[in-house]
This record gives sequence, structure tokens and C-alpha cells, in this order.
Amino acid sequence: MSLIATRPEPGSARPYSFPAIHRASVAGGEVVAAHLPGHLLATAALLLDAGAAREDHGREGTAAVLAKCLEEGTHHRDSAAYALALEGLGAELSVSVDWDSFRVGVSVPVDLLPRTVALMAEATRTPRLDPDDVARVRDDEATSLRMEWAQPGPRADAALRADLFGAGERYGRPLYGDPTSMAAVTVEDVRAFHGSWLTRPGVLLVAGDLDKLDLHELGAAAFAGTSGSPLSPEPALDVPIAATRRVLLVGRPGSVQSTLRLGHRAPERAHPDYVPISLAATVLGGAFTSRLNHLIREVKGYTYGIRADFAMTRRFGRFGVSSSVQTAVTAPALADTVGEITRTRADGVTEEELAVARTWRAGSLSVDMQTPGAIANALATLVVHGLPDDYYATLRQRLLDATVAEVSAAAAEHLHPEGLTLVVEGDSALIRDELAATGIGEILDVEI
Amino acid sequence: MSAQPAPVAGTGYPWPIETARLDNGLRVVVSEDHTAPVVCVNLWYDVGSRHEPAGQTGFAHLFEHLMFEGSVHVGKTEHMRHVQGAGGSLNATTNPDRTNYFETLPAEHLELALWLEADRMGGLVPALTQETLDNQREVVKNERRQRYDNVPYGDAWLRLLPLLYPPGHPYHHATIGSMEDLNAASLETFQAFHARYYAPNNAVLTVVGDVVPADVIALADKYFGMIEAVAGIPPAPSAHLPGPATSPARETVTGTVPAPRVYLSHRTHPFGTAGYDAITVLATVLGSGRGSRLYQRLADGARIAQPDYVGAYGVDLAHAPAPLIVTATAKDGVDAQALKAGVADVLDSMATEPVTDAELERAKALLTTSWWRQMSTVGGRADVLGRYATQFGDAATAGYRLPQWQAVTAGDIADAARTLDPQSRVTLTYLPEGTAA
Repeated sequence: MSLIATRPEPGSARPYSFPAIHRASVAGGEVVAAHLPGHLLATAALLLDAGAAREDHGREGTAAVLAKCLEEGTHHRDSAAYALALEGLGAELSVSVDWDSFRVGVSVPVDLLPRTVALMAEATRTPRLDPDDVARVRDDEATSLRMEWAQPGPRADAALRADLFGAGERYGRPLYGDPTSMAAVTVEDVRAFHGSWLTRPGVLLVAGDLDKLDLHELGAAAFAGTSGSPLSPEPALDVPIAATRRVLLVGRPGSVQSTLRLGHRAPERAHPDYVPISLAATVLGGAFTSRLNHLIREVKGYTYGIRADFAMTRRFGRFGVSSSVQTAVTAPALADTVGEITRTRADGVTEEELAVARTWRAGSLSVDMQTPGAIANALATLVVHGLPDDYYATLRQRLLDATVAEVSAAAAEHLHPEGLTLVVEGDSALIRDELAATGIGEILDVEI
Repeated sequence: MSAQPAPVAGTGYPWPIETARLDNGLRVVVSEDHTAPVVCVNLWYDVGSRHEPAGQTGFAHLFEHLMFEGSVHVGKTEHMRHVQGAGGSLNATTNPDRTNYFETLPAEHLELALWLEADRMGGLVPALTQETLDNQREVVKNERRQRYDNVPYGDAWLRLLPLLYPPGHPYHHATIGSMEDLNAASLETFQAFHARYYAPNNAVLTVVGDVVPADVIALADKYFGMIEAVAGIPPAPSAHLPGPATSPARETVTGTVPAPRVYLSHRTHPFGTAGYDAITVLATVLGSGRGSRLYQRLADGARIAQPDYVGAYGVDLAHAPAPLIVTATAKDGVDAQALKAGVADVLDSMATEPVTDAELERAKALLTTSWWRQMSTVGGRADVLGRYATQFGDAATAGYRLPQWQAVTAGDIADAARTLDPQSRVTLTYLPEGTAA
């Protein structure tokens, strides 16, 4: 007997459903919850309109310092007692800051969620923020950022961001600041950020077995002692594209690889073209079988991996490609990458490629959303970007219905290979001449 | 409010498990759960870098790459295309003990996954070309540069293993292997490696999710049943060790790192033993979370360590005493000697200062949550079942791990800690260039 030669056809598709969403208004805040019957773990997260975009110029990193300070003791107990209380429930605070929001989340066995949410709120609403602690945490964060910036990548990312959004703009500075701005954050900055933005109720996201949870009890704990009303969202930014392509060289002497970061600006997350844009990016560089990974990794062997995506926030987006390639092949890798982006813009996608992208993105909705944490993140996306409650329930069908014409049109409209900024972090002395010889764009040295 | 322990679970695996063994020796484990419309297909092959003889290091890991490059009925890169095209996610990993391959897909694509896995188990060798081999050797070299060589401290694990295990021991060399060995080997050598180890009687197939066990077992037979068993699969070289190391080992690396960092390590007990359960809880008390001793004493108390970079963990290897690794990175202005002394003091305190009830309950609560987090996906569950079936002969023993952690006492931890003698300790220190050792 021999192996079965033909690929089996799929069985009948199981019905796709996003969990039922429940909402409750409690004590001035809003609870948005997803019902996951039978799940042993539950997740809760406070979603606050206090993203890094609210930081002052030159003090980028303030929110990240505050995030770390939440566990340095509260009005009720010191940091050691807080750690024992929280971790004694098996919980750890997951605190994150992005451009649009400040989130504090916990995941625990469902019966422990009420006590854990109370502790989460205690740290978020009433952190001690003792000046000595804040200064120490700030110093630790600056050191930590310096460690991170010693790795390849962060300096290239910063160079790209500054070029796309302007070094004088908050969006043109790194999300978590740089080692200098982090070191410049003062105790007053941190206390003021907390007072302005973390004492408003915000939204409590809950994902778990709601038969075992009382949303009003959770909301009352999450919103206790808060005041103020929701902030009105600011409009999306325009999408300016550079007239010519440029190469920014960030020196990393002795590096055995060149870190590549290519990009240009793009629309915001709630843009009506989101579905075709994301499918175009999937074909170009989102999947292992993407055009870029196929050519640069599988055919040429230049890299361990390469990806392209549209990163989209409430007010802006950016198209980006990231990879690390051997120093010696930096120039051909860049030329091939720009070539694939150009081809995708000019010729669009094929039905065969799109078929893979469609079913991948549609199928991965079920695969990715198994856990309460993943569902809570999906709820956050709905709230931050003002998407309707049936968004995920209908997203699957919208992905499956997207046509070659729509996705090719999105590639033509939203990819701009001629206006790309190409950042190369590597051993400049070894690669400059060859890069110049390709004529891929004007070459500028950048100090970061 | 006092810390209350998480509820004690009677089992860490409250889902049904059904098992079967095909005539060719392939073990099949199925766990049915209709909560989400997804399925995970997971294969554990009982081959890892511990099986590699001298001169063939890195082979097991390179195979993890070659397995995605086509087989008799699946074209190059088609595996990825089919799984992602169905909405699935997939990956594979190699470690000293074993190689695992897994994909999670919408449940209607179960047969696709079984077909793909069977084709590369039974039909890889005829499809393996020199071009594919050469290409994937380059990919692995890039992986090594990106993950180990171009990253500060990235080679710590590569340096710890030869300090922990003597030459000739199967854990002595790192899984990524030697690029020279990979360059030197011929296509025929790689083909022989697959023929020897990628056999149905050397694997466990685990399927978890929205499926019916009897259907899965019938499908497993349909797709894998004709693959012939391999006789005489050579065992890994002996992993026997006469006991803990009898003298300390030290290495100092001066390089482009931003701050001094220290790793203290011991080989302890094999994963799956009561001794290693005690080490797991000990490591959590010592180095997991802000309430841990390392954090409280070095990041918070003495403030000589960077808070984000203190930790202690066991590496769950099952075929010889597994490593416990304790690490910290110096704050600005703290020298490596002070850091090393501080970390050693806290590690030694595990033997001299009894673990309190609060410390013990905190550690168990954290381990409990992390266990249930792993169990919250079909992929997490499938990998655990595959591990226990492969390493302990019975998938159902997965359910014992959580209760066994919960049964660890302060006395067990004190006993375990006494074996972490400075005389058997490995110390690896990184210094920034321009600092004196």
C-alpha cells in the first residue's frame, strides 16, 4: 500500500459565531463582556483612554513608567504586600500601553475573578506613586530601554517613524520613547498623567463564563472612586506620501546582519478599505507563503523571515516591511523587496493567492479566538475603533467575499513603493557603496 | 485581605482521552472537546538533538525545516500554503529531547492535516533534493545569526549546556548545532536520518478539539496505516550521570552587552519526577513574579538587579537531570561580583530559610493559572498529551502534574534546595567590553 495521493476535501464547515456580547452601565463606566460558557479561565481588563499619544513632547515614556509604578504599592498596602495578594490568587497584572489606550488586565480561574478585579482596580485607581519609587522605576525603565536599544531593530524603527511622521510630532517619536526621553520623565509627569487620564471610569472588558460572574459586581469594583466623562475621539490624520524613495542608513559597526525597516504612511484602522487592505498585505507579506517570504527566504535564502503589514491605530496607519538579512546581500534583498511591492501595486493579486489569503484570514478567526484573553482583545478593538457589536460576526463573511478586483484596487491605492522610506541598520561602511550603485534611492546617514 | 489559595484540582486534565495504537506502532491520542470549532493535530517524534552523534549536530533541528519543504504528494512550501489557506496556524520545534509538529485549523480541515502529516512521515525522503537541503542550511544559518549571534546574551544557552553536561553526554551540545557539521553532511546522510527516526513506531499523533474519537482513529489508520514500522531504531547515547557535578564550572564572556549579567545553573532531576516537581515550585518561589525572593531581595530590596531581568526557571528535559537556571542583570553602577554574590545568596537562602506558607501558596497559585492557560487552547492541550504519551507512555498522566505541584511541601523544597550546592554550580557571567573581570 502507498500513501494517499490526493489532498482530501474539507468536511462541512462548522458554523462560526463570535461570543454573545453583553453590556452594562455601572457606576459611570461601561462593562463590555463576552460569554464563554464552560471556560475555566476568565479575563478582565480595564481599557482606559490614556494611550502614549497623550504624553508630552520630550517625555515620551511617561505612560510606560506609570504602567510599571502601578505595582509599587497602593494607598492600602506596600508593593510586597500587593504582590503577595495578587500573585496569591495566581494573577499577574498585564499592563500595556499603545498609541490609543492604556490597559490593565488579569486572567485567572473564573471563581477568583471578582477578587482579582478588585485588586486590579486598586492598583490602577489608587497607586501610591511615592516620589522615590517613581524615580527608581523611571531609572529602571531608562536602563531597560537602553538594553533593548542595544539590540538591532529599535533604532531602525525610530528612524522610520521620525521620517514618516516628523520628529517633532508625538507619532513621529517611538511608542515607548527613547532612552533619553525616558530618562527625562519626572515624578510630576507620572503623577499628572495618572491624575488626568487614569481616574476616569473607562471601559471594563470581561471574557469568561458569565453564568459564574456578576457584571455589576465587577463593574462596581472597577469603577469605584472614578470621575469624569469619556473623551471625544480626535479625527484620523491625512496620509501624506513622499515624492521620492530614500535610504536612511543607521550605523551598527560589526553587525553580521542588516536590519531592514521599509515603510510609508497609511489609513487608520476604521477605514472602510480595511478588509481589502489587509488581504493585500497578507498576499504580499503576511503569510509564510507570501510573495516576499517566498522570494527573499525560500528562493534567495537571504533571511530567516520577512513580513509586511499595515499597522493601524485610531488616527493613523503605516505600511511596513521588516526583516534581517545577511550583510553581504543587503542591496539585492532591498531591490527584490521593493520589486515585489511594485509588482503588487501594478499588477494586483491573483485569484489563487487571494483564495489562500481569504480562507486563511477567515479561518484564523476561529483558531485565534479560543482563549478569554484573545476574546478580550477583540472586545478592545471594537471599543477603541468604534466598531459595531456584530463586527467580528460579519468579518468572516466580508473576508470570504472580497474579490480580486477589490483587493487589487486596494493594493494600487494604498501601496506606494515610489515613496517608501528604506531604513537599513547595519555595518554602513560595508554596504554603502553597493546600495548607492543600485540607485534605489538617495542615501542619507542618520544618527540615532 | 489574606492571600487565598487557588482551589485544588483533582486532575489537571478534566477532558476525555481516548488512545489507540495502529498496527505499525503509531500511537494515537484523541481528546474530544466541542467548545470551539477547531482542531489541533500534533505529532511528537521521539528524536531530538540528544540522538545526534558527534559530527552530526544540528541534524534534528535542520529536519524540522526540511519537513516543510515538500514530500511525495506535497510540493515545496505547499504544506504551509494548505494549512494557512485553511485558516490554520502551524509550527514545529526541536529541543534536546524531541521534535514536535503541530497545526490548529478549523475542524472541517482535520483530514487535510492528517494527510499532510502522513505524507511527510512516509514520503519525505524521495522528495528531498540537494537544492532544498542547501537552501534550508542557509535558512538555519540565518536563524542562528538572528537568534543567537546577533543578540546580546543570545548565546547563553549555547554556553550553559557544555558547562552543565560533560563531553559525550547527549545534552552537551546545543540543538542549533554546528554549522560546520551541517555543511559537511551529504544528502544521503540526511535521508538516512529521516528513514531511521521518522517512523510511525517512533511517534505519537495527538488530536484535540471538535472531533469524534472513533472517526479520528479510523482516519489515522486511513492516512498513516500503510507507513511501515522501522525496526531497530537506535536509542540515544546514554544519558546516565553519576550524580550532581562534583566541582563548580565558571565562564566569563566579555562582549557587546549593555550590562553585566549572571546565570547560575544546576542540573537537578529529570522532568516528570517528584524531585523535579519540587524544583519547579522552588523556581517559582525563587524567581517568578514580583513576589518572588529574587525580585523582592535584589530588584526591590538591595536594588542591584534590573527588575525586568530577574528570573529562575527549570528547562523541562526528561531524559537526564534537567537544568535549573537562575539569572539577573546588573543595574547601572553595580558590578558583576556584587550581582553574582547577591544572586548566590538568594539561591542559597532556599536551603537555609524555610519557605513560608505565603510563598508556597503564591507559587502554587501562579503555577495553577499557568497550567490552565496552557489548557485553554486545543494546541496547548495536544502538546501536553503528546509529551506525556511520548515520555511517560501514557497521555493520561498529564492530569497528575498539577496535583503533584500542589502536593509539594516546604520540606520537599528544602530537600531540593540542599542539592543546589555551590560545589556543583555552573556560573556564566557576561561583562560589557571595557570592564575588568
